[in-house]
Amino acid sequence: MTEDIKKAILAYAEGSNKTKFYFKDMEKAVVKTIPEAKMRDVKKAATALVNEGILIYFSTGSSTMYGLKGRGMTEDPTEGTE
Amino acid sequence: MAFEPVREMKKLNYDEMRIYSEAELKNYTEEELKSFKCKYEIPDLDELEKGPWPSFVSDTKQEALRRRKLSDDQMLIGRDVCEDMLGQLQTSFDEGETHWKHGGIVGVFGYGGGVIGRYSDLAEKYPSIAMFHTVRVNQPASKFYSTDFLKTICDMWEYRGSGMMNLHGSTGDLVLLGTTTEQLEPIFYELGHVLDTDIGGSGSNLRTPACCIGKARCEFACYDTQDLCYDLTQYYQDELHRPAFPYKFKFKFDGCPNGCVASIARSDMSFIGTWRDDIRIDQDAVKAYIAGDIVPNAGAHGKRDWGKFDINKEVISLCPTKCMSMEGDQLVIDNSECVRCMHCINTMPRALKPGLDTGITILLGAKAPILDGAQMATLMVPFMKAEAPYDNIKAFVERVWEFWMEEGKNRERLGELMQRVTLPKFIETIGLPPAPQMVKAPRANPYIFWKEEDVKGGWNRDINDYRSRHKR
Repeated sequence: MTEDIKKAILAYAEGSNKTKFYFKDMEKAVVKTIPEAKMRDVKKAATALVNEGILIYFSTGSSTMYGLKGRGMTEDPTEGTE
Repeated sequence: MAFEPVREMKKLNYDEMRIYSEAELKNYTEEELKSFKCKYEIPDLDELEKGPWPSFVSDTKQEALRRRKLSDDQMLIGRDVCEDMLGQLQTSFDEGETHWKHGGIVGVFGYGGGVIGRYSDLAEKYPSIAMFHTVRVNQPASKFYSTDFLKTICDMWEYRGSGMMNLHGSTGDLVLLGTTTEQLEPIFYELGHVLDTDIGGSGSNLRTPACCIGKARCEFACYDTQDLCYDLTQYYQDELHRPAFPYKFKFKFDGCPNGCVASIARSDMSFIGTWRDDIRIDQDAVKAYIAGDIVPNAGAHGKRDWGKFDINKEVISLCPTKCMSMEGDQLVIDNSECVRCMHCINTMPRALKPGLDTGITILLGAKAPILDGAQMATLMVPFMKAEAPYDNIKAFVERVWEFWMEEGKNRERLGELMQRVTLPKFIETIGLPPAPQMVKAPRANPYIFWKEEDVKGGWNRDINDYRSRHKR
C-alpha cells in the first residue's frame, strides 16, 4: 500500500497550485483516493519520499509544510517562485 | 527500578576534542574590551548595556572582539557575524521593522525539525549574516550537563557558527544562533557522532521534552521525571523529527505541584507529580518547628529576621482550603480537602512530606499567546501511576494525539481545539469521565455533561401541560 500512497501524495503535490502544503491537507487528499489509508501510513509514505529526495520539508520554525523538491522553493528564499 | 539508558553514554573529554587553546579563548584584554567599537554605529544598542542587568549587547561585543582576533582558519563562517547582527539590529531599531526573513527548506537530511532557516534582507549591507540559521539542540534531562560537553559544544559553535547561543529557549533546548546552510550537515554530524546528542524539535513536531530535577536531587519528586522524560523522548523519536501534527506539541514534567518547569503553563501536555494518600506528618518535627529548633522554609528566607515561627500565621491560616488545624499539640490535616498547593510542605519540609502512593496528574492545553492569548492547562487526569514502561501514559498520549490529528485545524494548538469543541465533547472523545477536578468552580448549569437523548422528552417541553400540573 505504501507505493500506492506515495503515488497519491505525488499526484496531489503535482496537481496542487501551491508549492507547499500542510500534512493534513495531503493526508485528506490521499484518503480521498485510498480510503483505507491511515494517518500513520501516509506519514510513513511521506517520510519515505523525503528520504528519497522527492519531497522536502518547509519549516517556519513554528509549523512545517511539505513540498516537491525543485518546485518553487530553493534553499535561498530570494530565488524561485512562491 | 534503576535508570537504564538505551545505550551507554559516551564519555566526553574536552581536552581531546578542543578546537581552541586557552590563549585563543581569552585572546583579548579587559582594556581592549572596554575600548571595543563595533564597526557600525549602534547608539540604541549601546544604551541597552547601561541597565542593571547583564546585556546580550555586551556579550555579543565580547564575542565580536574574540572573532576579530582569531585567525581565518579558526572559523568557517564570516568573521563579522556578531558585528553585522548588531548593525542590522540597530537598523531595525531605526526603521521600526525587522530585516530577518524567517523560515525555509533548510534542514538536515530526513529531519523535519531542529533547524530554522533565517536570512537577512540586507545581505549586501551585512553580508556575513546573509544566512543566519538557528539550530536547536536537545538538552539532557534536567539540564544535567558535564563541563566537557558544554566546552565542546561552545568550541564547535565558535568554529562552525556565530559563537552566539541562547541557553535555553522557551521550550528548553539549547539554541545555537546563526550559521550557513553548508555547515548544517557537519554540525548535525558533530552533534550526533561526537557530542552524542540530537537536534531538538521545531515545526509541527513534538518539541524537545523537558523535566525538572526530579528524584536526582529533590525529595518532593513524586515520580522519576528524568526517566519519564527520557523514555518518552526515545519512544516518540518519529514525532520529534518527522512532522505530521497540526502544529507544535510540548511535553513537560514536574515532579511535584511546586512545578519548577512550569509545565502547567508551558506545555500542551503537562505531567505533575502528586499523591493520592495522605501527607506524611512527623509530629515531633512539627513541635520542633513550633519551638524554633528547626528553621522554616529550610532556611530559604533566613537572611532576614522574621521573628519567631508562628505555625498558625505562616502555615495553617495560609492553607487555601483551610484543611489544617492544631488539636492540642498535634497538627491535623483533612487530606480530602488538600489541593496540593505545597505551601505547608515547603514551609516545614522536615515535618511534612508528600504521601507514598504517588503518581501523576495530567493537564492539557497550555500555550503561549499566539492566537487567543496565553492559556493555562486544564486538568484532565487527576491521578495516574507513573511507572516504567509507562504504557498507561503512552496510551493516553496517543488517544489525545489521535483526536487532535483528526480534528485539529492546521496551526491549531491542542488547547485551542479543546476550547473549540468544548470540554464535554473533548473528554467524551478521548474517553475520560467528567471529574470535579476538571473545573475551577461548580458551574451554574449542572447539566453541562447531559445530552438531549439522555433527558426524557429532550430539551423541549409543553409549558401548558406543565402548568396544568404546577400552578405559579
